[in-house]
Amino acid sequence: MRKYYLSLLVLGLWVPLASAQEYQTQTQLSQKLKSLESASGGMAKLQSITKTIGGKDIWLMEIGSGDRSAHPAIAVVGGVEGAHLFSQELAVAFIEKMLTSKSDSIKTLLSTTTFYVFPNMSPDASEQYFSALKYERSGNASATDDDRDGKVNEDPFEDLNGDGLITMMRIEDPTGKWKTHPADTRIMVQANAEKGEHGDYLLYTEGIDNDKDGAFNEDGEGGIHFNKSLSFDFPYFTPGAGEHPVSELENRALLDLLYDKPNIFSVVTFGPANNLSEPWKFDRSKTTMRVITGILENDAKVNKFVSDLYKKSVTAKDAPSSLPTKGDFVQWGYFHYARFSFSTPGWWVPKFEASKDSTLTKNNTNKDDKNSDVNFIRWAEKEGLDVFVPWKKIIHPDFPGKTVEVGGFKPFVRTNPPVKYIEKAATDHTKFLVMLAQAKPELDLVGLKTESLENGISRITLTVLNKGQLPAIAEVGASNYWVKLITVALNLGKDQALVGGRKIITINNLQPGESTEVSWLVKGKGIATIEAGAAQTGIKKLNITL
Amino acid sequence: MNKLIICFFLLAGITTQAQDANGVFRAAGSPENPKVPISWNRYYTHDGITDICKKIAAAHPDLAKLESIGKSYQGREMWVLTITDFKKGKAEEKPGFYLDGNIHSNEIQGAEMALYTAWYLTETFKDITFIQELLADRVFYIVPTINPDARDYFMKSPNTPHSPRSGMIPVDNDRDGKINEDGFDDLDKDGNITQMIRKSVTGRFKKDPNDSRRLIRAKTDELGEYEVLGYEGIDSDGDGRVNEDGEGYYDPNRDWGWKWQPNPIQNGAYKYPFSLPENRNVRDFVMAHPNIAGAQSFHNNGGMILRGPGAEEDASTYNAEDSRIYDAIGKKGELLIPGYRYMIVYKDLYSVFGGELDWFYGGRGVYTFTNELFTSYMYFNKKSSWEDGQEEVYEFNNDLLFGDAIVPWKEYDHPQYGKIEIGGVKKNFTRADPGFLLESDAHRNMSFVIYHAYHMPKLSVDNISEKNLGNGLTEVTAVVKNERMMPTHSSQDLKYNIERPDYISIQGASVVAGMVVENRDLNITNEQKNNPAVLAVKSIPGLDAVTVRWIIKSSKNYTIKVDSRKGGVVSKQK
Repeated sequence: MRKYYLSLLVLGLWVPLASAQEYQTQTQLSQKLKSLESASGGMAKLQSITKTIGGKDIWLMEIGSGDRSAHPAIAVVGGVEGAHLFSQELAVAFIEKMLTSKSDSIKTLLSTTTFYVFPNMSPDASEQYFSALKYERSGNASATDDDRDGKVNEDPFEDLNGDGLITMMRIEDPTGKWKTHPADTRIMVQANAEKGEHGDYLLYTEGIDNDKDGAFNEDGEGGIHFNKSLSFDFPYFTPGAGEHPVSELENRALLDLLYDKPNIFSVVTFGPANNLSEPWKFDRSKTTMRVITGILENDAKVNKFVSDLYKKSVTAKDAPSSLPTKGDFVQWGYFHYARFSFSTPGWWVPKFEASKDSTLTKNNTNKDDKNSDVNFIRWAEKEGLDVFVPWKKIIHPDFPGKTVEVGGFKPFVRTNPPVKYIEKAATDHTKFLVMLAQAKPELDLVGLKTESLENGISRITLTVLNKGQLPAIAEVGASNYWVKLITVALNLGKDQALVGGRKIITINNLQPGESTEVSWLVKGKGIATIEAGAAQTGIKKLNITL
Repeated sequence: MNKLIICFFLLAGITTQAQDANGVFRAAGSPENPKVPISWNRYYTHDGITDICKKIAAAHPDLAKLESIGKSYQGREMWVLTITDFKKGKAEEKPGFYLDGNIHSNEIQGAEMALYTAWYLTETFKDITFIQELLADRVFYIVPTINPDARDYFMKSPNTPHSPRSGMIPVDNDRDGKINEDGFDDLDKDGNITQMIRKSVTGRFKKDPNDSRRLIRAKTDELGEYEVLGYEGIDSDGDGRVNEDGEGYYDPNRDWGWKWQPNPIQNGAYKYPFSLPENRNVRDFVMAHPNIAGAQSFHNNGGMILRGPGAEEDASTYNAEDSRIYDAIGKKGELLIPGYRYMIVYKDLYSVFGGELDWFYGGRGVYTFTNELFTSYMYFNKKSSWEDGQEEVYEFNNDLLFGDAIVPWKEYDHPQYGKIEIGGVKKNFTRADPGFLLESDAHRNMSFVIYHAYHMPKLSVDNISEKNLGNGLTEVTAVVKNERMMPTHSSQDLKYNIERPDYISIQGASVVAGMVVENRDLNITNEQKNNPAVLAVKSIPGLDAVTVRWIIKSSKNYTIKVDSRKGGVVSKQK
């Protein structure tokens, strides 16, 4: 009996039932990935691309059949934000759905398209969710001097009310800039001086000013923040960014790996930014300088097209606007990696709608309750979720004689709903990723014609067509040497000679539906081979008998 | 016993013989009879550099220490010589000067000139008081080559004076999915990649009637005789282009972590900042040595003393306060190295992202120059106009190098171009210093390094005065002086708090209060309430001083200590 369980463990088939009820730890996720790999029948390959400085594996699961590196591919990246555990679960659920699908169309897709899935880029940070002291952490295990005062981790959070959670503290103080929200006094908002309002509270994260520098909890444990440390628009010398872009092992390992996979045509991030519910818009003024900061015109059209695919498959409405942030991954994917790059949080707080006869609706005269915190707490209470720690007085050593209360939203709750919400999001996002994969740039060789001219010379004519729904190359990648061009090569037999035309023809790009005609003059008989394509479109081969 | 013998043999193996002392007479300013004799009129491969580094370290154990900062892509050790007077103070507690060479692999003399600096400092130490004082309170970190793989490739494989520049990681330059499939071909097998020319009725060039080795442009109203086909090579992959995907190409000096941009914006960029292992090794070394306050990087050529900003977009990074210091050092360089000009990269050369000097200054706050070694000025010690520049090269080659540096035209039967001629400048000429000029150029550039290093901060506790406040309290006021030009924190450093503040502390006294004195005459002070015994001072300005004050309970034996990352550690006992 014992042996039986052991062998299940060895085979990686042992998935504790409890894991379905809660977010999974790194150990559980790793175990899950291993079992998915071993049950995949060769459709999946799991590898650790590096270990973080905290000693945790960064997993890559490759999905697809046949020669995966020869197929156009999508990279799916979760956990760019360590506190966003939902994104990891979404990535893993996507893997599971693809691998266990019985659908023929999925099987066909996987025999022509590859997915490189990196479920969690921030394992050092995400483990904070499971520790005795819970706070939303983004930084890895590198020791950093966040406030650049020459001391490392000298002012961390403290759990002043002893509930195991880091929330907020508010201090009654006439110099404070914060006040309570009129629609819900639990919610704190900034007083608007322009409207003649004045604040009644100071508001800080929960803790004491350990180093007496006037700032609270400004340099605790938590190093480099993956989604803030990439090379586009890097926020120099800000906490979590690192001393320069791409300083960390996990960042480097991911980027090295992606650069070494020219077959990737698109990157999809499960993270804070959202350019799928609302596509990035073309703004010429951001594209005319040497360093472009906005999406290019043609790529904006592609973003719109893909956003429409997204909204066809993901039914959740009212996504809040989520702009990209400095040094983040989605912008790196577009501006520096030069691929079609998309991002979605995968889940967001739905809009709270009070039922028509509720007291809220009847009494509600305050328009300010569009406040997202108010919306969230109302929605959560309707769903029966406990997301808030009620404000409660404590004695605080830094504020003798003052009224100090600890409370506020629990960490993680805003972006990580109960796990029961994962299934629907995973189904929708799998549908979207499948649609995106089906839209891939894909070449067809059409209109092949061989004409026999006089004295053993033949003319070969051929049209190379992009029959996919995406361009072969994003406009941003037009002159980026990491993005491959389409080449059309004519390989001749030993009794054949090229009389006219180039042996290798380079095509700079093909838009969806666009085609180019190529032709050669060849002397001699026998079989010649044409190979056409680029890594990200797949390579098509054709034999011709002359 | 066994170990001892092995040690002895190891040392014996790399000990070199100085000349018989009776046979030499000292030339001013140079070592009379160096322990490590080196010929400074030739170049050294990575093996040669390794050998010289080991000899210097073995001959001067109290002045030089040899370590590797890591391995290159192909596994070569990247040597760093740490040069200081190890008998005086800890190296890491002295202001540090970082010097490297040869980041561009064909720009070879940077390595010899960096090595010359290490050699000169160690060999003249015993005779020149200035050098003794210099090494007492500063430390030099000298990395002769930070591109050893491609340095050897440049020397050992066929190349032009301009190739490979890159390192040796293969790159698909023409984006066809194949790597390094169409590089140069040394058709005439002479180890140099020179020019291919062909007789042509439409050609616009002709051979110079005065020197047939030189190809010149035909006059506007004159028929030409030759066309230029480019560097030696064939279209190896049949794509209709010649030499379009050879060794490299990326530019190691577009790989640094300050305002880095990808290759479509900045040609030569590799994957991301510090994506090249050699540069990562330098980064790690610099991060581990926060005492580095000044740096230079030896390139070639053109006789330029360059400082940032590299990119026009980064112009605001350099402010007036730091520019003043750069200007003072750069102008001095123009005097020390005739023919060299002090220039700003983006304004006077080209606008470029991700350069080494930009990371050193922008990312670390270190005052940094790049020297473009060798200039055509040195051919005949005069400025030449661009027009006759080429002519000068050929004249110099003929009259001073006796024709050694140029390959005469020779016919060749090319598989694609037919009958052509191959010839031109060898890879060791026009960019690398010719042998007899190498030592002189090295010495002048070293003198510029030394001037720059001399002006790193030099701190001392200048004056301590006491005042009795009654009730057993004493007011102690100390003046901390910086007698050189550079502050302990550049203005870039201060803008971002790159390096921690300087700590000025009083030890051995019971401290009641501590403050930085803003104006001693008017008694304006700035109290530090937390931990008053260790006062944090933002910076100690150059050729200036900082005044600090404590109120203490006893005034017997105390020590005032200054602990500055870039200014060193000094103390004074009362």
